[in-house]
Amino acid sequence: MTINLPFFDAIWRARGAMVIDEEMAPATAFERLDPMFQLHGTKYKVDGDTLTYTKDNPTPQDKLATFTRGSLKVERQSGQTAVSYDVRSHALLYCFLAPLLFLGFAGLALGLNAIDPPDPKGKDETEESAEADEEPQQLHWIDQMLGAPAPDKPEEKDSEEGAEESDKDEVKPKHSPTSAYVLAGIFFLIYCVGRFLEPLLLRRTLRRALTDPEWRLPANPSDRRDVVTPTFAKPEE
Amino acid sequence: MSGVQVGNRVIGADAPVTVGWENIGRVEGGPFKQFFFTYFQPVMLFAAVAFWYYAPNSLAVASTAFIVGIGFKILLLGLEWVNPRYESWKLTWKEFATDLFYVGLGFTVLRMADSYIGADVMIEFVQGVFDWDKFSWFTALPLLVQALAISMIFDFGQYWMHRGMHNWYPLWLTHAPHHYITQLNINKGAIGNPVELILIGLGVGGFFDFLPRAFLLAGAIGLTVAVYQHINVRFNTPGWWRYIFNTVEHHSVHHSQDYEATRSNYSATWIIWDRIFGTCVDGEAEVLGMEGGRRMDIRETMHFPFSEGYKSTKAWLQERFGQPTEQRQEPAE
Repeated sequence: MTINLPFFDAIWRARGAMVIDEEMAPATAFERLDPMFQLHGTKYKVDGDTLTYTKDNPTPQDKLATFTRGSLKVERQSGQTAVSYDVRSHALLYCFLAPLLFLGFAGLALGLNAIDPPDPKGKDETEESAEADEEPQQLHWIDQMLGAPAPDKPEEKDSEEGAEESDKDEVKPKHSPTSAYVLAGIFFLIYCVGRFLEPLLLRRTLRRALTDPEWRLPANPSDRRDVVTPTFAKPEE
Repeated sequence: MSGVQVGNRVIGADAPVTVGWENIGRVEGGPFKQFFFTYFQPVMLFAAVAFWYYAPNSLAVASTAFIVGIGFKILLLGLEWVNPRYESWKLTWKEFATDLFYVGLGFTVLRMADSYIGADVMIEFVQGVFDWDKFSWFTALPLLVQALAISMIFDFGQYWMHRGMHNWYPLWLTHAPHHYITQLNINKGAIGNPVELILIGLGVGGFFDFLPRAFLLAGAIGLTVAVYQHINVRFNTPGWWRYIFNTVEHHSVHHSQDYEATRSNYSATWIIWDRIFGTCVDGEAEVLGMEGGRRMDIRETMHFPFSEGYKSTKAWLQERFGQPTEQRQEPAE
């Protein structure tokens, strides 16, 4: 039984097609795309006009690092070539789910605050005793001469900050959930950018690889090692 | 590959490493670009020090440092875009999202854990054990002297913790995931197993009860020096800076695929600690990582110290008490 979940699928799947103004056989097209499939952790299979691939944890330098599995189909048309792609990205899926994780961390912070609340009585006592002993720190004469601001005296601090705090009579919770909420929002934003940007970059990469003979993949540093034999380098012909 | 003799060691025998300042790349472009990327680092350092030295008390607080830090990192991300050191290190969407995930862990769950088992607890314990009033003479010193001392003492602690991680197998297990990065970007410092990130925070500088302003000044030095160790920007860094401070050149050598090179440049801010203790290698590298540049994903990063530790312990026990099995992963120590 197959379950059709188009909205779920759209989270991590990109499909599309483009036309290249040059007629080429599928074998020629796949030969031009070949460097992208000769990299670390890549497995691929060509079946007639369709290439299917998977990439296991590709390096950042891999142009298909975001879309780690999928298929490409090449069809000859009159004087043109139609290239269609159907690819999936675990990175997009995890990025989509990341806000939930950070919301979970926010919940954890709130939970820990509930289990282990700060002790207002004890804190006040220690603060008071510390303040009683504390003398205002004098700046070194060099700092005074250079004009560095002197530390606030305790009574100034009290008048500036203490009044508000004593009115509220609240103790700051031990863990703040704010950063987790902010990060959840940031990851949602990053997901939106990636969902829009990455398919565009994929199209650009495919078009360049197929049409620009001068274009080549940015050199993967690991391919340039001259001592350790790369296990994923293209075999010499 | 023959490598280059540096002291008693041969650097670059396993993978390419450029040794010495003469052969490393320079900023390419017009006079403005040359000027900007030559003086950016010193100007930012002196500006940050001046800001924290003269900022009114209402501004000289940790929350300002937090906001300034984030703003500065966004600026540096822009510089990575404009003037990358290596094309092969260019930040991609996926790498940015991955890096930010680790940064996010540091701001959330690790911060919570730190308050129970990390540096906060250690500092509280040490401050409770000793009579720190005897050190009150220190807080009477000029602010910049205090700040330099805090920065250097803290970095001294980090130097030895880091060096320990490269020389003692249990500590190495926590640090190894960080060495699987195959490129440097501004947030790559956050990548690693959480256990390591808690350990590296256990410096000794925090044990002293410094003036807050001196502490913020020390933080500003760290922000405007150590932040460059994982950055993909080509600078014409001045010679005096390279002599006393850690740079991305030094740190790229530390992250190279060459085993001997990884055992150098341990400090985060003050490379003079490496010079003093004989572990400094001046140079740079582009080819980074472990196991021929294999990328380590988030899941493996999280369990690596435990799963690898379990395998190593099992192998050791079998070697000692039973039949020998597979050897543990190299390079380890």
